[in-house]
Amino acid sequence: MRAVGLIGLLVGLAIGYVLNVPIPAQWAPYISLAALCGMDAAIGGWRASVEGKFVLDVFLTGFLVNALLAMFLAYLGDILGVELLLAAVVTLGGRMFLNLSVIRRFYLNQWALNRRQR
Amino acid sequence: MSNFWDRARGNGFAPSFFVMWLLLGVLLVSALKAQQNVRKDLPSSRFPELAREYMVKAKTLEKLEEEIRLLRDKSTEMENALATGSQKSQLLNDSLQEAKVLAGLSALSGPGVEVLLTDKSTEKRNEGDPALLNMFAIHDFDILRVVNELRAAGAEAISVNGQRLGVNGWIRCSGPVICVNDIRMAPPFRILAIGDPQTLTGALKIPGGVLSDIENADPNMVKIISHNQLTIPGYAGSTKFKYAKPVTEAVAKNEAAQ
Repeated sequence: MRAVGLIGLLVGLAIGYVLNVPIPAQWAPYISLAALCGMDAAIGGWRASVEGKFVLDVFLTGFLVNALLAMFLAYLGDILGVELLLAAVVTLGGRMFLNLSVIRRFYLNQWALNRRQR
Repeated sequence: MSNFWDRARGNGFAPSFFVMWLLLGVLLVSALKAQQNVRKDLPSSRFPELAREYMVKAKTLEKLEEEIRLLRDKSTEMENALATGSQKSQLLNDSLQEAKVLAGLSALSGPGVEVLLTDKSTEKRNEGDPALLNMFAIHDFDILRVVNELRAAGAEAISVNGQRLGVNGWIRCSGPVICVNDIRMAPPFRILAIGDPQTLTGALKIPGGVLSDIENADPNMVKIISHNQLTIPGYAGSTKFKYAKPVTEAVAKNEAAQ
């Protein structure tokens, strides 16, 4: 499953590179935000799978809904002149660090267990 | 575990999972490229703020220029109204209006030509040799030479993208854009010139002339259209002189004494 994800990511990177989708300057922050949501979902999914709690539909809807909410916030912030986009960036960024620390702990534990068994 | 996960593991392949990762990849690269494109124009990490500010400033400038234009029109009207009083003031006003026309402060209309200069489209540009990329973009000197040629051929008023080239007009390269009278503009460039359309067109189309380089690169980059009637706006920027002053008799005498 993880290999599927990795292959998908690589193919996606290649497609993005080859297609060269022209994105207007005013859309650039939204796309970046969507990419951030994707990364958050990816790390969240990794954590869930490490904890044995991975559920595909939660993973997919999480990505979509988070991306939509983040973009809506960014749009709203644009209208109101307040950088609401930062809320999404801070939340997603913080969560990525949190999830990564859980993942790190899991692998450290595993490594320690393996050494003890040997 | 949920059905989704079991199914995915059973098949060894989950399309939606794959597609999500694929999407993430595309998004990442697109975001990166978009940011690169954006940074190319404005070398700052605070681009969004700068962009917003720039848009606001550009709009304000447009409004102010419009105001200047209106005020100049009004002053012309008033000058005319004043002049109707007596013959003397009428004469004065006539010469004033003539001077304004010469300085490029009044909008003019008449027959002329329209020259459209565009960069070669990016997709087509990418096909060619990257070393030749420079040839497929319109540069400041291209516009300069066209304007110069038009002047030489007897054009009486010239504007570039709505910017009148009056007595203090200038054209300059400024990174990825071109400045005309301190106004930044990007392709396509629309150069309007009032004069005899045939003469102007002929001057531009001379073999080996100003446009031949561009046309050799790609004929689609140049378009010349004759017009029976076109209007060129007056110069809307500042016209205050800071250093130069008119020579009066006293000054002339003073200099002669030195």
